[in-house]
Amino acid sequence: MEDLETPQIITHIENNLNHSLFDCKWVPCSAKFVVIGSLPKGSGTIELFEINSGEAKKIKEIERPNSFKCGTFGASNDVERKLATGDFKGTLEIWDLEKSCQVYITKEHTDIINSIDGMGGNTMNCGAPEIVTGSRDGTVKVWDPRQRGKPVANMQPMKGETKRDCWTVAFGNSFSDTERIVMAGYDNGDLKMFDLRTMSLRWECNLKNGVCSVEFDRKDIPMNKIVATTLEGKFHVFDVRTQNPRKGFAQVLDNSSKSGTIWVARHLPQNRDLFVTCAGNGQVSLWKYQYPEQRVRTDDKGVASGVPGKLQRLQRMVISSQPINALDWNRDHTGLAIATAYDQCIRVLITTKLNLH
Amino acid sequence: MDKAFEIQKQVRDNVKTLETYLTDLQNWEAEMKRKEAALNGEFEQDLPPVRSKIKRDKPVVVSKKPEKRISSSDYQSWEKFDVDKACEEIDMAEVGPVSLDSKKSQAAKQEKLREEAQYEKERGNAFVRQDKLDEAISCYSRAIELVKDDAIYFANRGLCYLKKDSLHQAETDCSEAIRLDPTYVKAFQRRATARERLGSLRAASQDLNEVLKLEPHNLAAKRQLETIKIRMGTKGLKSKCSPSSTPTIENNPMIKPKPKLQPKIIELPDEPAKTELSPLDKWREGIGERITVITPVNKPPHLRSKRPLKSIAIQEIPLSELSPKRPATRMKIIEIENNLERGDTNNNDSNKTGDAEMVDNKGKGDSSPESVKLITDIRVNEKRDCVKNMTPPLTSVQFMAEWKYLKGNDAARSDYLSVIDPSKIPTIFENALESDVLSDVLRILHQYTDKFKEKTVSAYLRGLCTVKRFSALAMFLSSSDKQVLTNLLQHCKTAENASDDEIQDLKNKYEI
Repeated sequence: MEDLETPQIITHIENNLNHSLFDCKWVPCSAKFVVIGSLPKGSGTIELFEINSGEAKKIKEIERPNSFKCGTFGASNDVERKLATGDFKGTLEIWDLEKSCQVYITKEHTDIINSIDGMGGNTMNCGAPEIVTGSRDGTVKVWDPRQRGKPVANMQPMKGETKRDCWTVAFGNSFSDTERIVMAGYDNGDLKMFDLRTMSLRWECNLKNGVCSVEFDRKDIPMNKIVATTLEGKFHVFDVRTQNPRKGFAQVLDNSSKSGTIWVARHLPQNRDLFVTCAGNGQVSLWKYQYPEQRVRTDDKGVASGVPGKLQRLQRMVISSQPINALDWNRDHTGLAIATAYDQCIRVLITTKLNLH
Repeated sequence: MDKAFEIQKQVRDNVKTLETYLTDLQNWEAEMKRKEAALNGEFEQDLPPVRSKIKRDKPVVVSKKPEKRISSSDYQSWEKFDVDKACEEIDMAEVGPVSLDSKKSQAAKQEKLREEAQYEKERGNAFVRQDKLDEAISCYSRAIELVKDDAIYFANRGLCYLKKDSLHQAETDCSEAIRLDPTYVKAFQRRATARERLGSLRAASQDLNEVLKLEPHNLAAKRQLETIKIRMGTKGLKSKCSPSSTPTIENNPMIKPKPKLQPKIIELPDEPAKTELSPLDKWREGIGERITVITPVNKPPHLRSKRPLKSIAIQEIPLSELSPKRPATRMKIIEIENNLERGDTNNNDSNKTGDAEMVDNKGKGDSSPESVKLITDIRVNEKRDCVKNMTPPLTSVQFMAEWKYLKGNDAARSDYLSVIDPSKIPTIFENALESDVLSDVLRILHQYTDKFKEKTVSAYLRGLCTVKRFSALAMFLSSSDKQVLTNLLQHCKTAENASDDEIQDLKNKYEI
């Protein structure tokens, strides 16, 4: 009777907006979320919605001349709840949504900021509040909102190297004040792991297809797993607990679904072994990573290497006719998520029975 | 049937869970709103510092992606590829950026320390000027603590100790300074003074000889050496009469310990009593020689105890006893030999012997002052000798000192001039060229034109007229000087093939 435990994915609220949407984020400690997008005339919008008894009500809108691409609350604490955004021109802005004004603005990237992630805002003892941005100009920059104008770290290709479009960035391994890792995925399939403590490249590999999304299962623990999704419907799960000096990390690849580009993968905040992937055909899939019996194996020379686990698909559901480009789980309520898609709809999704897994 | 029931149950179940979920959601919404309303207020957080601030002296370069190979078809990149730099980088990598970095920071630290020490030294100098010696000493000590390898700080502290009559400390400081900088004349002089006052006359005279080696015309050192020699002479005489055993020929300090040892060895079997008086042994050893003359001592200790008061004078005896058999003259020879030593190495042997003869003459001349002419001759010779060994001056002060010293010996002066690089003239003189010196120089240039063949007279003339404020000097050239100049220019034209333009230019400069 395992069917009884199968989670359901239900679209709770669907709201059609009349413009392109690129990103959506829950406002921490609230039933509100922001939707980031651009109007047909090319200007950018940040819209603030509130869920109110089965309806999403728009309560605020900010319009700016440049289209926004991505946003995060990660570097802000739960009281101030400042939104950091990246736009098509390469500008990083931090917004005070209460006052609808910027508190930080810098334009160090020369091209669109594709991806942004924040860390350290509200969790104690996991490092400085920092924002990482990845841009089409080939650079990945790390920012501290307390330092104006200049990034605190900058990862860029060497001179003479071709600049690859950085599509996705993510923080992780931030279990102390010093440790922190930035993952960056590029359009050529490169996946790079930068160690911010030693300011060095810790590991890299090529996934053959452009990396659309990368995420740690948890940001504030010693790094455990990474999900990296690519074009062509494939995604990789790396066990990053054990790094073998020769083989790197153990990984499991899923290419079972012929669903087109997997745009995004997001781990459930309440259960790090569950994650959802959003595909180009408008399908969301819920996955469970099953650990092997032994996560680490030591070879005859005593060198440890990781052992990949297995992936189990719990549920899938087509919820949109167009690719779903962003999804965000609610931190405070299990199973509640928002998703934006290229059909210009914002959806509040409910996933039930997640607590059973 | 079972299946249908199952599906039905499942659907119902799902709807039920959804319903509960939705009511949960509604409750959550309300709760969230309440929570959010309560959220205003300050949120204090103890945040770690901004990364760039902590990472400031991290060795690893941030802005580098890992090295990627330039693909063989990427010709543009290869064109830009700097092979030397890449090689250098590889070399550097072996050293490691860490060590490089630390080296750099260490150098910076050193620099800082040096600055601080310099500051302390300045303070110390100020204190010396105010005659606050103790403060000055503490300043120098701090400077030494900061920078341990600067001779100046030691020498300055030595001077302070000297002024304070802490002679031993002064001596050790000066020795340290000399160890650090073996050409530090002041340190030698100070140590000589300290040693002289400590009574180590021979050591003092050695120091002074060293000074004269470095600065042959140091009058103060010469005078001091004279007085020391006189003192040594008297001492030597005194001591000569006491120990009969001292070999008369011995001037060599190497043999110094021997006479000391001999009596000791003899004494020991002679005086078994000595072993009992172990604390006094040292004293006795020190005065051993005198004791051999005065004693077979078997005095009880309390009787002897009065004598050590004079023992300091006795300690000197071994030194003075070594003082020369032929006191004053012999020392002279040493001095001049030193002069020779200072000379350039390409003096061949025959030359040297000749010099030595002259030196001997000189020594005699000094002792018999009636042969003035001889002396002057020798002095001239000596001067010429000096000139040969002369190094070109770096400052006008050096030049003037030498120039004055060579007064009345135009040949030597011309030699001296010829060692000077004409292009350096402006930097040597800066703005300290005086009209009488200029006219002297011109005269000598004119007189000994053949000595300047190599560097050409015209070069000298050009060098001189580029000295600062030369136009003012040119105005004060006397008619005779101008006559000399015209002759010189004529020489330039004929012998050195100087171009007409050049001559005209010089004429303008010298206002002829």
